[in-house]
Amino acid sequence: MKIPGPRIGVYVCHCGLNIAGVINVKEVVEYAKKLPNVVVSRDYVFMCSAPGQNLIKEDIEKEKLDRVVVAACSPSMHEPTFRAALEDGGLNPYLLEMVNIREHSSWVHSKEKEAATEKAKDLIRMAVMRASLLEPLEKIKTPVENKVLVIGGGISGLRAALDLAERGFFVHLVERSPVLGGKTPRISLVRGGKSGREILAPILEKISSSEKIRLHLNSEVKSVDGSIGSFKVKVLKRPRFVNERCNLCGKCEEVCPIEVENEFEFGLNKRKAIFLPYKGSYPEIYAIDQEVCTKCGECVKVCEPGAINLEEAEEEFNLEVGAIIVAAGHDYYEPPKGEYSYGLSSKVITTLQLERLLSDDGPTGGELIVDGERPESVAFIHCVGSLGTTPSSKEYCSRMCCYASLKNALRIKKKYPKTKVFVLHKDIRTYGLDEDIYWDSLEEFVRFLRFEDPPLVRVKDGKLEIEVFEVNLQERLLIPVDLVVLSVGMVSPRGLDELSSILKISCGPEAFLKEAHLKLRPVESLSDGIFLAGSVTGPKDVIESIISGSAAASKAAGVVSKEEVEVEPIVAEVNEDLCSGCGICVSLCPYGAISIKEKEGKRLAEVDPMKCKGCGSCAASCPSGAMQQKHFKDRQIMAEIVSLREVMV
Amino acid sequence: MSFEPKILVFACNWCSYNAMDLAGTSRIQYPPNVRVIRVMCSSRVSPEMVLLALSNGADGVLITGCHPGDCHYVSGNYATLRRFKLLKKLLKELGLEKRVELEWFSASEGEKFAKYITEFVERIRRLGPLELSEE
Repeated sequence: MKIPGPRIGVYVCHCGLNIAGVINVKEVVEYAKKLPNVVVSRDYVFMCSAPGQNLIKEDIEKEKLDRVVVAACSPSMHEPTFRAALEDGGLNPYLLEMVNIREHSSWVHSKEKEAATEKAKDLIRMAVMRASLLEPLEKIKTPVENKVLVIGGGISGLRAALDLAERGFFVHLVERSPVLGGKTPRISLVRGGKSGREILAPILEKISSSEKIRLHLNSEVKSVDGSIGSFKVKVLKRPRFVNERCNLCGKCEEVCPIEVENEFEFGLNKRKAIFLPYKGSYPEIYAIDQEVCTKCGECVKVCEPGAINLEEAEEEFNLEVGAIIVAAGHDYYEPPKGEYSYGLSSKVITTLQLERLLSDDGPTGGELIVDGERPESVAFIHCVGSLGTTPSSKEYCSRMCCYASLKNALRIKKKYPKTKVFVLHKDIRTYGLDEDIYWDSLEEFVRFLRFEDPPLVRVKDGKLEIEVFEVNLQERLLIPVDLVVLSVGMVSPRGLDELSSILKISCGPEAFLKEAHLKLRPVESLSDGIFLAGSVTGPKDVIESIISGSAAASKAAGVVSKEEVEVEPIVAEVNEDLCSGCGICVSLCPYGAISIKEKEGKRLAEVDPMKCKGCGSCAASCPSGAMQQKHFKDRQIMAEIVSLREVMV
Repeated sequence: MSFEPKILVFACNWCSYNAMDLAGTSRIQYPPNVRVIRVMCSSRVSPEMVLLALSNGADGVLITGCHPGDCHYVSGNYATLRRFKLLKKLLKELGLEKRVELEWFSASEGEKFAKYITEFVERIRRLGPLELSEE
């Protein structure tokens, strides 16, 4: 039986004058006609237009085409368009090969018309040779578990969970700490005039009464398997040791002998090993800090409702979800001891500590009292940990810190009008509508001093003195102050490294999680079905975090509202006759998609097509050629390489 | 007439191919000596492919991928890097080590790509044509 060779159609696009203004399209079309297996070669002014696509569809029928090569723009632009055209014309969409003669030729060689034309011919020749060997592929379909996992119970994670629950999807919310809320409840004044707790209250109220949200507090994600539509997640839940019977009497706290820094107040005061994370928290019951508790049992003795069980053990459980939202938040830059005399004097604090001091529910009840004294002069130092000001600083700008310190400068001015307030800054970025706060600060006689080299903070006989070279005055100034406030930036949260490797999504150079595309896909990760919300992708304020939580929820809903999802079929496959079971591919696979199985007494590699993401790393390393990546098989790529040289029939 | 080298670039679908696209949309000009093969990840490029290109008309080969830590496939480009180091040893034995390079380009580095490839074409031009054939 004679097997007919492939029948290829080549279509060269003018893209108006974008291509045709440089490349001699007619010459290219004639050239393509002479290439092996090409039965038709045409050009058209806009191939992506409806008439352009119709040319292809008609030829598929009339000329019995079984491969199509389109020489036009970048495949990232119109590959989906032409794949759909093939499908409409009755051809498998993977029998399309695109040649990028616009971005890669006419636009970058606009003055070298002949050379650009020759390059277009070469690229089309290579594509035709590859197209001859293309194989039809079927999209992999997988059923969708219509639940979502949200990692992180801060404001963006809560917003995302609530949005999904309100749309009827079941949500598992995993939070590392014993309470919900993240950093928001510590912020006493958010842009727009409410406290973090006021913003949180209605959200927490709805979350606590929702039947669609299951909370997993004191819990961490330990492993994630599977892919979009069906992730298998292992969660470790640490004991809280205190249950709902707790009536908040506080007797346990009185008898507890262990005292540690209170993280909620940024170390401004102490808490016990058994503690209420904060007043009005959800859930509002005590918790025991497993790290420091000695299990002395004193608390158990005084607990009247019998809410404490020190025998409570860790438990591990599995969840199945169709999509994941990562809302792991951020931490704040912690200046190393001695940076601006931080840690050397109790009068050098961070903006976060000041935030707590100015909070009605803070350790001083909202009074600005540090170490028993009310400072009469306060200096804010900006860009601490940001813009590369010191060796341990990050290079980026956190944006929030300028607003935060000016906001607090104004609060101090309002409450204690006689206090002198200095702001030592590089640039002031009270961006957007918050520019007002800068002008308000000027009107309130907050003194702005601009530096290029970071100021020096000295502790002299218990007093603070700042030395700064003011760049506008071009003068060195010595300023004695009672309190120095370091305006610290935001950094990626502790443990994000581990989480990113569990989720197999990467961190950018600043150690935050990376979006799939900053502008086009800002709440998606590069792993299908995993979405990113809040400050885990970089500094964001409360409002921006809420917005991105909602955005991530709607993206996740797009996945879990479907019955099944389609996955690109360009995965790896094994030729069992050639495979020797050496296992090189197993160690290379970034996704653990390959395993070695015994089959009829033979060791063989096996690919899980649902886990494989189609990088082709295994195929490139296989010594026998048994491992192949669909659509990028050795022979398909090699055909392109070999045809770097002229091959004429 | 001066020698015009033919350069093959292996570009990964996510970063370097997009960097080349960006050079295009920004209309940054570079020498027309380049031919491109798109793969999903730089780690798909096997040493055989590089040698095959050199024996089929390429005077130089540039493998490109995402920056380390930025790989779309988590760690694919680290596999590329390790493989490239071994390939370099082999190429050295063959006297071809200057004709093959590996460089990272993020999707936003169109200008960097244009600059790099311009210099690479010059480096290969100075080396002269590669007279290898399969015979």
